[in-house]
Amino acid sequence: MGKYPIYEHKKGREYFDRALKVIPAGIYGHLGPSEGLWIPINNWPFFSEKAQGTYFWDVDGNKYIDYMCAYGPNVLGYNDPDVDAAAKKQLELGNCTTAPGKVMVECAENLVNTVASADWAFFCKNGSDTTTLAVMSARAHTHKRKIIFLKGYYHGDFQWAQKVDYPGILPEDVCHNLLAPWFDIDALQKLYDENDGDIAGLIAQPYDHGNFYDNQTASTEYWQAVRKWCDEHGVVLIFDDVRTGFRLDIEGTDHYYGIKADLICFCKALANGYNMSALCGGEHMKATVSGMTYTGSYWMSAVPFAASIACINKMKALDTPTLFRKLGTKLTEGLKQAATNNGFDLVVSGEPALFYLRIANDDSLMLHQEWVAECVSRGVFFASHHNHFINAALTEDDIKTTIDIAEDAFNAVRKNHPEMK
Amino acid sequence: MTDAKTMAYINMYAVLGTLENLCELDEKAKEILSVLEKPVALAFDVKDGPAATLTFSKNGCRMEDGAKQCDIKIPVSSCEKFNKIINGEATPIPTKGIQKINFLLKTFTALTDRLTEIMRPSEEALKDRDFFILSTRLTFYTIAVAMAQIGNQDPIGKQSASYMLDGDILFGIKDADTATLRVKDHHLVAIKQAPEKPRAIMTFSDYDLASDLFNGRVNALEELGRGTVEIHGMASMIDNMNRLLDRVALYLA
Repeated sequence: MGKYPIYEHKKGREYFDRALKVIPAGIYGHLGPSEGLWIPINNWPFFSEKAQGTYFWDVDGNKYIDYMCAYGPNVLGYNDPDVDAAAKKQLELGNCTTAPGKVMVECAENLVNTVASADWAFFCKNGSDTTTLAVMSARAHTHKRKIIFLKGYYHGDFQWAQKVDYPGILPEDVCHNLLAPWFDIDALQKLYDENDGDIAGLIAQPYDHGNFYDNQTASTEYWQAVRKWCDEHGVVLIFDDVRTGFRLDIEGTDHYYGIKADLICFCKALANGYNMSALCGGEHMKATVSGMTYTGSYWMSAVPFAASIACINKMKALDTPTLFRKLGTKLTEGLKQAATNNGFDLVVSGEPALFYLRIANDDSLMLHQEWVAECVSRGVFFASHHNHFINAALTEDDIKTTIDIAEDAFNAVRKNHPEMK
Repeated sequence: MTDAKTMAYINMYAVLGTLENLCELDEKAKEILSVLEKPVALAFDVKDGPAATLTFSKNGCRMEDGAKQCDIKIPVSSCEKFNKIINGEATPIPTKGIQKINFLLKTFTALTDRLTEIMRPSEEALKDRDFFILSTRLTFYTIAVAMAQIGNQDPIGKQSASYMLDGDILFGIKDADTATLRVKDHHLVAIKQAPEKPRAIMTFSDYDLASDLFNGRVNALEELGRGTVEIHGMASMIDNMNRLLDRVALYLA
């Protein structure tokens, strides 16, 4: 018996069994058991009942300190009073209307005043909407076909962003995708030459934060070299800042690395959970994007715009990038110490605001999955395959509790593996 | 769209290769082999395709790569022709071992007929529980080997293999049959026994679930949620193996 009681999920399982009857896979996508890698499944909470600040409670009443933050949208804390007040105020005025609410202009102005490389903002709903628009715009702008991706990429789930062996994807859907390794300018040149210069754009996350392996941060020098190469070859540089946006630098992660992208995609942290995304870019791309045939029923809904203004302004006031770096560093240092105390080698990689964890005692991640499951069972929500997220509602006390639970979980795993010394 | 060369490799190693398991697990197959007085080695040598030798004896059957040492040799002019032979649309003509044609016409044909009966069973036959389990077990081994061939030969399967890390994947039916999918430099080998130290594990709860999955009646991702499919370890390897598994249906449906 450990220091912390093990959660049970009787009601959660009941809801999930109901879900399996009426929803494909019960919970599909990254919030569900397959992409979310719930190993073993019964250690996970299935569905939430409510959320507040840095916590959520599952339908069985179990409380979690949440380090996945809905996979990114929770940046200030669930139910942030300032963001919610702004959203409610706008809701009373109108939301999805024939003539867009004037708050759309205010929201675009706020983004232009915030993001260093932005001279305009185009609003959608999900990250995929913006990465797709960015790729289409790069092609429209250059009249070229190919797009360079960097290894380990994820730019959403639209057909063009998937891989040829995924269900429902045709070779024709992805035949203009080219793959280059990270941190290798020569490889970009090789692709350019091999394809007779038919390169419309290069789309990339700001650093290599792929799943199942240690994340590798980039350098200012690397991005400056990429920027220079794109300029020399007329290639549109697209920053996919959907995951990292506003967490490393309020002015955009291209600014963090000392460059200006031609196009930059935002979503997750944009409105603290209110559903919207935005493609921003330089003046030189505005005419091209103005000519795109691209819209959606809910893309100009006013409530998320009001939420976004409040969210961005509060992130500025709190200086969330500095706060996240401090909290993330303190947390991961504590986790590493707890691991060492129990004979585990916990590798921490990526940026502290989006830390990635891996137990390196075996090369299969099985020990790591076991430890993550033990943490979740005790009320700390980690993921075994993906980077984590810090939000502004996380306190020093939460970090202390997290480290204590993590230590209890390490202890439990160690006891399950007497072969470990 | 299927690729003839990939199909030939599947027909050789996954379909004919399952004769090894048939001769081990099926009483009728053992009875067919019981008339053999001494071992017979039958080789298929496909131009620009696979080459393998099946050695049959009273004790069973084993398959080995290559077509050098054999009693009967059947050279085949192309992968397409070999696939026709396996489908019963063309007749194999041996160039060596004509005097053993009797083995080819009787014993080998009886074994492949029995394999077809089990691998493509009637609804009625599957009501017999023992027959159902035998059919599912043989399908399991066929699929395990077919995944490796698809990863090595099929143009899209090669893409899946290109993302796979080195190591062994345990692919199995819980407390029953297990196989290893070994990955080394993106080349796959199927081994019909469990790995010593798997880097990733994917198991099905029982024969019924395995049968439903193999026949497309349920989906592995949904079954993960039910807890009837379990995965552990390097999930990216399993993810890519699943994409190979998806393509098995394309070739063996």
